[in-house]
Amino acid sequence: MSDAVTGNVTVPGTNGLHMVPCSLLAQRASKFACQITIKKGDTRADARNIFELLGLGAGEGTVLACEATGEDAGPAMADLVDLFESGFEGHADRTSS
Amino acid sequence: MLTRTGIAVSPGVAISPAMLFGSQEFRIPQRFVSVDAVDSEVSRFQASVATVSDALGENERVAREQLGDQYAAIFSAHRMMLRDPKLNGEIETLIRSKCFSPEFAASRVLRNYAKTLQNLGNAYLAERAADVFDLEKRLLKTLLGEQRPELSHLAEPVVVLAHNLTPGETANLNRDFVKGFATEAGGHTSHTAILAGALEIPAVVGIGKFLADVSAGDVVIIDGNRGEVIIDPDEATIAQYQDFLKQRESESERLAALNTIEARTNDNVRIQVLGNIEFPQEVTQCAKRGADGIGLYRTEFLYLGSDHEPTEEEHYDAYCRVIEEMGDHPVVIRTLDLGADKIPGDIEEFRTKADNPALGLRSIRLSLRHLEQFKTQLRAILRAAVHGHIRIMFPLVTTLLELRRARMILADVIEDLEEEKAEFRREIPVGMMVEVPAAALLAHNFAREVDFFSIGTNDLIQYTMAVDRAEPSVASLYRAGDPSILRLIQMVIDAGRVEGIPVTVCGQMSSDPKFVPLLIGLGIRNVSVTPIAVPEVKDVVRNFSVEDAEQIAKHALSLDVARDVENYLRTELNRLCPDRISGSPDT
Repeated sequence: MSDAVTGNVTVPGTNGLHMVPCSLLAQRASKFACQITIKKGDTRADARNIFELLGLGAGEGTVLACEATGEDAGPAMADLVDLFESGFEGHADRTSS
Repeated sequence: MLTRTGIAVSPGVAISPAMLFGSQEFRIPQRFVSVDAVDSEVSRFQASVATVSDALGENERVAREQLGDQYAAIFSAHRMMLRDPKLNGEIETLIRSKCFSPEFAASRVLRNYAKTLQNLGNAYLAERAADVFDLEKRLLKTLLGEQRPELSHLAEPVVVLAHNLTPGETANLNRDFVKGFATEAGGHTSHTAILAGALEIPAVVGIGKFLADVSAGDVVIIDGNRGEVIIDPDEATIAQYQDFLKQRESESERLAALNTIEARTNDNVRIQVLGNIEFPQEVTQCAKRGADGIGLYRTEFLYLGSDHEPTEEEHYDAYCRVIEEMGDHPVVIRTLDLGADKIPGDIEEFRTKADNPALGLRSIRLSLRHLEQFKTQLRAILRAAVHGHIRIMFPLVTTLLELRRARMILADVIEDLEEEKAEFRREIPVGMMVEVPAAALLAHNFAREVDFFSIGTNDLIQYTMAVDRAEPSVASLYRAGDPSILRLIQMVIDAGRVEGIPVTVCGQMSSDPKFVPLLIGLGIRNVSVTPIAVPEVKDVVRNFSVEDAEQIAKHALSLDVARDVENYLRTELNRLCPDRISGSPDT
């Protein structure tokens, strides 16, 4: 098992990390084998769990700390950062339907 | 506290938490399930999640095609929430560890999630709680729509409140836990009402819309004597009803002393008090209460309770069970009397889709059209008759030709059994129900061709008064005390006396104590009543002489309207039996 990969992301958009971004984030996180935790201050959320992500209550501009642990932690972190930077645009996941 | 009034159909009082059953709204009908139902309830939950998930997937597809990805993403997110393993795990754990119903467990967990979102302090995210509530609604709708929760898997005493109960559902009520029921729909003598009486579960029907005023778990009093449902009663009311229940208990003990005593008027005229039964099990209550036999064994339950047409052996076994318990007492078996309001499982195909089923193909008319089914029942009756005093009774006979045809088929069956060298009884009394005015008017002619009459007052009133007994807007016309009904009964009794055949009155009229002196005064010596009423009717009979009764009948016949007749009979009953404890507490 590789070491943890960490990184910070900033919540884009006008409505913060609301339902749809949380859903996209969880879908994305589910594609990787590694464990991804998103932290807002002391509140932690499993990136695969939409309710926990919503529970962060992360408004626009909030800086979140991400931590990925496991085999594909590196690519996973890169993908998540990309997702946040793109503002969750054009990432609706069709494969899940 | 809220009191709603309906039609009292099965006497007694019940005080228990409410269970809502099959209401139209997404109310949670029941909070707990029994331990042995847990696995099936978890499966039911999982199946509902799959159904809702598929529906959301379809919404997502349509939204993507017609509105665009950003809208589709909403449904995708809903589906993600619904499929969330942690959420599902929490709900399943509640079902398994606490025996919560899936509805209650799902609602509780989802509402918890929604509350968390509401408390985040972010206005936009707080609004997402609405999405969670929407999920809850979808899930409950699927859970409730899919199938009604199992009434047979109850874990605690309840009163069941429903829009309607089918006869099948009523028959399957678990008597250990269902203490009473009340429905928005239904009428005085609907089959559901008759079943409630048979099960001796206090019941009120035809209340009209009231389910919106109750929540699952609210304490509810069902007063099956007065026809009242009291929702969330105050402490004084509960105390009053509890006192009353105690009083009734001591009254039952007093009446129990009559179990071994024959019913005689105070001038020593013997009155036969027989029982009306629906299920073979009820015969035990009849025997215990000292009934003089079974005056009406309705055989419809054999058809209603199962998913197939009963076989000859199933008929035979049921009849043998009844005869065995009644010993030397007579048992009158009425052949199939399925009617419009009595919906069977398997033979539903026979139901006419006519506008007016009460006037359509039912009862003996149905039997004469479906001879195989009719013959199966007759064979079983004749075979069982070897073991006891069975009598056959044909229902709803309207013309003499119908009666003769039914007798011919009976003769055919006897011939068949003889050829087969089967063990059966050839000589068996054959009677008919008098419940159509046409038959009452020709009672003399009929009396020459049958061995006995039994007046079925429920249908006789319906057909004489031209009133649908289940239709609340005209139900007030349905009165046993109507002078026209009294006249018809008198005609039938007179015909029986002249032609020398016995006449019994069955139907709910004879179970009502105020009508007992009237009927005896008109000449009746046999009444067949609901088993729970046997001790009370025996008790009432002891308080008057035949001469008293004849005077009461004479005066009743001189009155013009049902209300006056019934008020008069009520006053007379109170005069004759001043110590009777009436059905309900004085409120």
